[in-house]
Order: sequence, then C-alpha cells, then structure tokens
Amino acid sequence: MALLEVENLEIAVSTQRNLLPVVQGVSFAVDENETLGIVGESGCGKSLTSLAIMGLLGTSPVRITGGSIHFDGMNLLALSEGERRAIMGNRMAMIFQEPMTSLNPVYRIGDQIVENLRQHQNLSHAAARDRSVELLNLVRIPDPSERIDSFPHQMSGGQRQRVMIAMALSCDPKLLIADEPTTALDVTVQKEVLDLMADLQSRMGTAIVLISHDLGVIAETCDKVAVMYRGKIAEAASTADLFAELLHPYTRGLLNSIPVVDRDVEWLEAIPGRVPTLEETLTGCAFQPRCELATELCACEAPQTTQFKPGHSVQCHFAGQDRS
Amino acid sequence: MNTLIFLRDAFAGRKLATAGFLWLCLIVVAAIIAPLVAPFDPLEIDPVGRLTEPGWPNLFGTDHFGRDTFSRAIYGARMTVIIGVGSVLVALFCGGLIGMISAYFTRLGHFLMRAVDVLMAFPALLMALVLITLLERSVVNTVLVIGIVYATTTARILFGMTLKLKGETFIDAAVCSGAGNSSILFRHILPNLLSPLLVQASFIFAFAQLQAAALDFLGLGLPPEVPSWGNMLSEERIYITRAPWLLIYPGMLIVVSVFSMNLVGDALRDSIDPRFKDDIAGV
Repeated sequence: MALLEVENLEIAVSTQRNLLPVVQGVSFAVDENETLGIVGESGCGKSLTSLAIMGLLGTSPVRITGGSIHFDGMNLLALSEGERRAIMGNRMAMIFQEPMTSLNPVYRIGDQIVENLRQHQNLSHAAARDRSVELLNLVRIPDPSERIDSFPHQMSGGQRQRVMIAMALSCDPKLLIADEPTTALDVTVQKEVLDLMADLQSRMGTAIVLISHDLGVIAETCDKVAVMYRGKIAEAASTADLFAELLHPYTRGLLNSIPVVDRDVEWLEAIPGRVPTLEETLTGCAFQPRCELATELCACEAPQTTQFKPGHSVQCHFAGQDRS
Repeated sequence: MNTLIFLRDAFAGRKLATAGFLWLCLIVVAAIIAPLVAPFDPLEIDPVGRLTEPGWPNLFGTDHFGRDTFSRAIYGARMTVIIGVGSVLVALFCGGLIGMISAYFTRLGHFLMRAVDVLMAFPALLMALVLITLLERSVVNTVLVIGIVYATTTARILFGMTLKLKGETFIDAAVCSGAGNSSILFRHILPNLLSPLLVQASFIFAFAQLQAAALDFLGLGLPPEVPSWGNMLSEERIYITRAPWLLIYPGMLIVVSVFSMNLVGDALRDSIDPRFKDDIAGV
C-alpha cells in the first residue's frame, strides 16, 4: 500500500438548494520519496483536494461527500479530532500558496517553529530552539541564529516561504503537501525553493504532493503528474510518459499556452473559453465546450477513465488523436 | 516592547493627544497617592465652615457639610480610575470572549450575536438604569453594569475582527500544524487583536466616566457617601446659585478627563487605522 492513497474522492459545496459537486472521483497514490504533481487551471479542485487531505474543510460549506483518504494505512476521514491533530504538522505537513500571510504576524518566526516542534515532540524549549536554528540553516536562511528572532514582516517573501518549509519539515514529515508554493514568488526565488524541496526530499525520503498550474514546474520536479479539469482527473501518468505522449486535448492546450522564449509566435495559443462554473450542469464531457476534437458523442456521454497504456490513464473519447 | 513602540508612534507629533495622555497619567497618580496629597479627610464634616469660597486652605472651597472639595476631588480621581479600569476589564473580558467565540464557533455564534444585537438595541443609559435598579448601589455593581453595557459593542467589534482573522492563511497553517481550538483562539488569534482591544479600551474608559457620572447624578450609581465627581455634582446641585464652585470644579474635571480619554483613543485608533491618518493629522 502506498503512503498516501486517495480513492474516488468526492467533494461538494452545499448551497441553499442542493449539493454542487466540485471534485468527482479523484484517485491517486503517492509513495515515499515520490513527487506527485497536480496541475490544472484555477477552479479545477486542486486546492480543495489538498485541503481535504489536510482536513481543513471542517466547518466550511464545502465538504467531503464520498471516497476515502488513507495515509500510512490509516483512514484519515475516520480519525478523531485528537488523532488527526497528532498527525497534522507532525507526519504530514502543508506549505501554503501565500508566504506573506501564512506566518502569524505577531510572533517571532523562531517561536512559531518552536511551538510546532514542542506540540509534537517532547523537547525542552532550549532543545527546540536549537533544532529551529538547525532547520533554518537547512532551508538556507542566512544567519539563522540571528534571524530566528525576526518577525515575519522583517523577511522577504522567499525567506518566509523557506521559514514555512522549515516549519513544515520540523518534525520530519512523511508527506508534504505544497499548494502552489512558488506562485507568489518571483522566478529566481521559485527555482531556489523548488531545488530546496527536491534536495530535502532526497535527504529525508519525504513524499511530496505539489499542486501547481505551471506545467514547467511540474515537468522539472515531479515523478508523476495528474492533470485535473473541473474536479476530475483528465489524465494521469508518470512525468516521462505524459510529456512523451500528451493524450488529453486539455493537457495539450495547457502546454501550448506556455509562452516559449526562443520561438517566434505571433499569437500565443490559449484554450478558448473558461472552466464551466459549478452551476452549469454538463451532460457530456466537461471539456467538450472548449475542445477542438469535440463531437456529438462528447456532448452526450461523459468519457470513462481508460488505461491508454499501463500507468497512463486518460478520460477522453478521442485520447491521443489530433485535429485531423 | 511592541506595545511601547506602538504607543510612541501613536502620540508622535500630536500635542493635544499627548497632553490628554499626560492628564490621564496625572489622574492615575493622584488616585494612587490620594491620602498623601489630599490636604483634608474627604469625609470630615465641619459644621462651621460650610460652603466657604475657594481660597486657602480649602482650594476648591467646602460643600454643604463643610467637607473640603479639593480633597474630595482627589479621592474622586480614585473612583474615576476604579470605574474606568473595572468597566474596561468587564467589557473586554465578557465582550471579547463572546465576540471571539461567536466568530469561531459559527453555529453557537448565531445565538450569541443575536442576543448581543437585542441588548444593543437599548440605549446604553437606559440599559444601565434597568440593570442598576435590579441591584443595590455599590462600587462593584456600578462597574459590572457599565461593563456589561459596553460588552455588547466590544463583542460586535471583536466578532468582526475574529471572523476576518479566522480566514487568514496563518490560521489554516496553525490548524495544519495540529493546533487545537483553544490554542488557535487564544494563542494565534488573540495576540493579533491586541491593538484594536487597546483602542476599544480607551473609548470604553471615557464612556464609562460619562455613564458613571450620569448614574451618580441620578442617584443610582455609587453609594452617596463615596466621594466621586458624579456624586459631588449630584449632592451639591441645589447650591448652584450660592456656591457654583461646588459644581464647576467636578464638572470641569469630568469634561477634561473624558476629553483627554477621547483624544488618547483617537490617537490610538488612527495609528492602527492608516485611513484616518491624513484627515485629522496633528490633532
């Protein structure tokens, strides 16, 4: 059994009238020392999936309506509050999209790391502080023994994200969920943060779920990729397989909409239209209104997940076919 | 340390607010060392020297029992501080707790905040009057009543601020690190509310004075034997034509003190809310 196994996860938003599904039948597995990338446009349910794994959907109108999430053999959805809290931040940690707001502005960064450490490990304050300096050093914060007493507002975005990573790694988690960890950072810092995560993974054997809308980032860092579109996994494969053969027209569209510097293109190809809103009921394939391959079949019948090749699954009636 | 810097920035370049702050400090000092600075016993009756004019040795004159008004005013500062601090503590504790809990546990919050809304619908003085008639006149009850009246506005303000903070990423991050509800509320949210609480405290302090003086004047506040500025006004009001100084001095003290507290409150509020800064800069 893999370290993290998500099976047929269903998430819905409850409105006054009915339940609107936002994530439907999402399944994936991540093993130790492995990085899974989840890609998709905004509103595809990537972040919700990660929040569901971390148990952050608690009181919001968004809730899990079906499926299971197993972590290290435990069913996360069946855990009591206390059991869940013992795992969170300890064996499983998360890095958020906005480094500017994910640290509490009124505490020194050191105190925040120390608090997390002492919550899960039986450490004295002094020992936790030493460990915090070590962690800050590990994430390459210059002068860690000085900077440990800085307030978040005294640090740059990249530094704060590194502090978040240090905090997430403080208890040597087996699983790290990173929800667009580099989106709010500028490109040079992005590279550093991604390298750092890869480096730490090779040292500690952490499993990483990296959520991003940037196929470039995914291609560079992930072992496996799942492409999400409107709450479903459109295509999933190992990174090498996926980029060798793009089966789903949506994946191709995503790749084509990345501007390439050394190619002179007049118009950047974008996917026409937008992600259908939750209120729009779709009978057929969710991508059909925006798809260049769409036929009548697509409008009537939603495609099932098919194994195109071993380890390469896709949800499309015309997987792998071109416009011609 | 942070609070000291916050205070320094709040009063920098604001002469009037600084003067108000110093006046408040003076009142607090007078309240603490009242027995040392008051020339006479504030309760000592002198049937011969009734209603004497201000002069030496009775700086503010004497009242209709022959008690020294200056000494009574200094002891009155004591009541001012006790009522102010007491009501602020009651209001911030009750209101803060209700507001934070309502925002955090939304379902319970619906009930609590509707109850707060109902209480807020009554004018502050009316509510204080109703509550005080149910209780007997004492210092503690006056503090409680005024505190409860202002707990409602505090609850509203903290409800909104907690609701906003609850949506911040760092609270999600705290949940992710395995923090429990009480730890999130009191260790992660509460410290972020300290500056608005400080501002709220300074306004409640000012309003509590007016409220207490009004209750005293109506004979429903502090027991009549307690020397407070409100009681002095209430007791001596029939002598306004014969001995106006008996009302002018305590009246002035109330006005100047409340004005000072409002200036301090304004300065504190402006320094946490940058939108106000340009409008009334320098006041």
